Amino acid sequence: MNVPFMAGLKERELTMLSDELILQNPLRILAQKNEDILPKGGFGAVLARAGVGKTALLVQLALNSLLRGKKILHISLNDPVNKVNLWYKEVFYHLTKPHDAKTSSELWESILPHRFIMTFKVDSFSVPKLEERLTDLKEQNIFSPDAVFIDGLPIDQSQKESLSNLKTFAKNQSLHTWFTIKTHRHEKPGPDDMPVQLQNIADLFDVAIQLEPEGKEIHLKVLMGESANSDHPKLLLDPRTMLIT
Amino acid sequence: MQKYTQKVRNIGISAHIDSGKTTLTERILFFTKRIHTIHDVKGKDGVGATMDSMELEKERGITIASAATYCEWLEHEINIIDTPGHVDFTIEVERSLRVLDGAILVLCAVGGVQSQSITVDQQMRRYKIPFVAFVNKCDRSGANPFRITDQIKEKLGHNAVAMQMPIGLEVDFKGVVDLVTMKALYFDGDYGEFVRTEEIPDHLLVEAERRREELIDAASMFSDELTEAILEEQEISEDMIIAAVRKGTLAREMIPVFMGSAYKNKGIQPLLDAVVNLIPCPSDVQNEAIEIDNGERTVVLSSDPDAPLVALAFKLEDGQYGQLTYLRVYQGSLCKGDTIINVRNRKKIRVGRLARMHADQMEDIETIPAGYIGALFGIECSSGDTFVSRGINLSMTSMFVPEPVISLAITPKDNKSQLNMSKALGRFSKEDPTFKTYVDDETLETIIEGMGELHLEIYVERMHREYHAEVTTGKPRVAYREAITCRSEFNYIHKKQTGGAGQFGRVAGYMEPVANTDFVFENKVVGGRIPTQFIAACEKGFKSCMAKGPKMEFPITGIKVVLNDGASHAVDSSEMAFQAAARGAFLESYKKAKPVILEPIMKVAVETPTEFLGAAMGLLNQRRGIIVGSQEEGPQCVVEAKVPLAEMFGFSTVLRSATQGKAQFTMEFSNYKKLPQAIAENLQK
Repeated sequence: MNVPFMAGLKERELTMLSDELILQNPLRILAQKNEDILPKGGFGAVLARAGVGKTALLVQLALNSLLRGKKILHISLNDPVNKVNLWYKEVFYHLTKPHDAKTSSELWESILPHRFIMTFKVDSFSVPKLEERLTDLKEQNIFSPDAVFIDGLPIDQSQKESLSNLKTFAKNQSLHTWFTIKTHRHEKPGPDDMPVQLQNIADLFDVAIQLEPEGKEIHLKVLMGESANSDHPKLLLDPRTMLIT
Repeated sequence: MQKYTQKVRNIGISAHIDSGKTTLTERILFFTKRIHTIHDVKGKDGVGATMDSMELEKERGITIASAATYCEWLEHEINIIDTPGHVDFTIEVERSLRVLDGAILVLCAVGGVQSQSITVDQQMRRYKIPFVAFVNKCDRSGANPFRITDQIKEKLGHNAVAMQMPIGLEVDFKGVVDLVTMKALYFDGDYGEFVRTEEIPDHLLVEAERRREELIDAASMFSDELTEAILEEQEISEDMIIAAVRKGTLAREMIPVFMGSAYKNKGIQPLLDAVVNLIPCPSDVQNEAIEIDNGERTVVLSSDPDAPLVALAFKLEDGQYGQLTYLRVYQGSLCKGDTIINVRNRKKIRVGRLARMHADQMEDIETIPAGYIGALFGIECSSGDTFVSRGINLSMTSMFVPEPVISLAITPKDNKSQLNMSKALGRFSKEDPTFKTYVDDETLETIIEGMGELHLEIYVERMHREYHAEVTTGKPRVAYREAITCRSEFNYIHKKQTGGAGQFGRVAGYMEPVANTDFVFENKVVGGRIPTQFIAACEKGFKSCMAKGPKMEFPITGIKVVLNDGASHAVDSSEMAFQAAARGAFLESYKKAKPVILEPIMKVAVETPTEFLGAAMGLLNQRRGIIVGSQEEGPQCVVEAKVPLAEMFGFSTVLRSATQGKAQFTMEFSNYKKLPQAIAENLQK
């Protein structure tokens, strides 16, 4: 047995596991024609009330991108780096639980360099600042993300301008960008069933997924996007593991 | 000396580097009249702080060894352990924490919860030590104690509650509002020694009312009496609040936050009151020991001074009075003239002189009762040893000691230095369990091992200063390890039957990687194919190969050997023969098991002003580091990364020059990871 062959075998094992994880991922249903749910430069939103599982879903979307070999930048405006890292670890652990522990931990090690976590204080975060940081990272050849996941940015109509700026930036850099948006129980959705937060800025977003607790289950409703009106199987979020089933 | 442990507090002062621990301790000693003038850490008078008695500490402005001292406040005795802040010396911090009942966590009002504060918090969690927080440096520009209070909640996950509120901030910092008594406190006199109590200034009254309500709300969780008083709208007494806060603090479910500026002598006296009021006394804390005879069962110790003695040596010092052993008595009393037993080696020791230490001066005493910290003269022991009275056999739980990650070869310059060096090394390795030393068999060099570059550097300096040992040092070396990555079989015959006494042994089985341990041996030989008396020899043979890996002569880790077959010869088999067979088998199958080199990876946190964030990340990136993330908080940000230790040599200099000296970093061992092929090849050369 020669060594290069073995090295190849190891790699194959890892690719097999990541392929399997991608295939198992029910999020695949949301992406129809192209592999990605979002087009390049597109905006996606995960909407839910507090505590329903926005971050969990966002991390799953991010892990899905990571497994597809994308580089992702996770921006959190609430949690410190360690906590975000813990989210990833936890979700990854649940995803790979049925698989060989050693291969999973190697896969984890291999995707880790493709993830970058940045945390800001809500009030110190601004689009120009993000652009500055990203250019910094790119220029020094430290990190250049394919997708950005922003957790905890308060989004409403008042931010139309800065969001448009971000959109232009994302288009130029061909970044996929996902946001989490917190909705509130007392707010009535607008005329087209769109949550208030998205009104007037809906045109910026390409996909919007809402998490809605119904009884003991959490439903995934696609409000916007290619698969919004198609009848794909019902997607649920398991409240125990926060994974999509 | 009092015997009532209710009036004793054993506290530690822990914090991040440069948060002002030593300055705070200095002020506490001054206000409790233990010292009569204040010397600053890097003071112009050249005296240095009283707690930093080691010459080197004064020069560098950092605290290396923790000194124990005691003082009195409101008729309570307070024993203070000044703990070092640098991460290379965490063993000192851990050891001090072991003997404490409570602590003050000092945080900088600008820097807030920094990486080292998090480490210290984890350590306090491990030893379940209740603490109060002190937000220091409220006079610095950018100070915001309430932001720090929020950080304690967010970053450390504690229920932090402000007990005070600042009157003015930065240059206008004048004093504090006590939210329990609802009075404003000002600190007058040259050293702030006169506390002036006044009414709260009008413009702060509304905020103070609101914050007091928050405080009472949080405290009411721990006291039914207080809750009732709130519900029935009765008057809430100060004692009620303090009792409730104390209960919460003792249970570690609430962290009271105090504020002030040690350098400007503000807010120290109320903090001392808090130590007396809120921090547990020795009898509030349950201490456990291990019963050695009884299957290591844990027993709870009583704080009765008349019970049999149990004491722990937590620190040794070689000072001007000979070997000095710092002890904490957990049960019974240690009296002059007693005969005590060192549990580790069962040696009987007669207690000669007992003393209470005050950094480098001391005071002779007759007895150290339970709950107290004191020092013992003229006995030989290592730190971490337990002393007991005759007739009992208890040991305090062993303390967690991390493995060294870095080593350095040292050579004495002349014969005299050689002698002094060995003296010094013997002392240091006794004092500090993370510092190890040995002589390399091949190069005959003396190797010292420790937790980081600075750690070893300090010891080399101490050797020079305290022992006059001139040594030259080699390049620091990383503690690499070897490990196998897959299972491999062996079947080896050792045979020498060519004349004279023959040797014969055959061993067969397999080895495989195993996690979290160095070496496991399993015997599955059946039917006496290897006679039982030779099994131990086989194990010894395998084990002897672990110290030096065949690949690159680094220690091997994580191997499980399973022996399942073999053969022996009625005459020629011997222990020697089987040992040799095991060694041969190890070498044979080790090569097949795809050995790799592992290197220590450090968790590095760089704190820097945001304008240098890019530069700091660039530096980490150049060093094969994986940047986990960056965290921005106002003008400061923290980059967290995992970087191989081998790449971190000299990092502090590079970082300083790249950031105009404004960034600092801390690192600690994280895990071992496979060395990339290209670098392993380089290393082989």
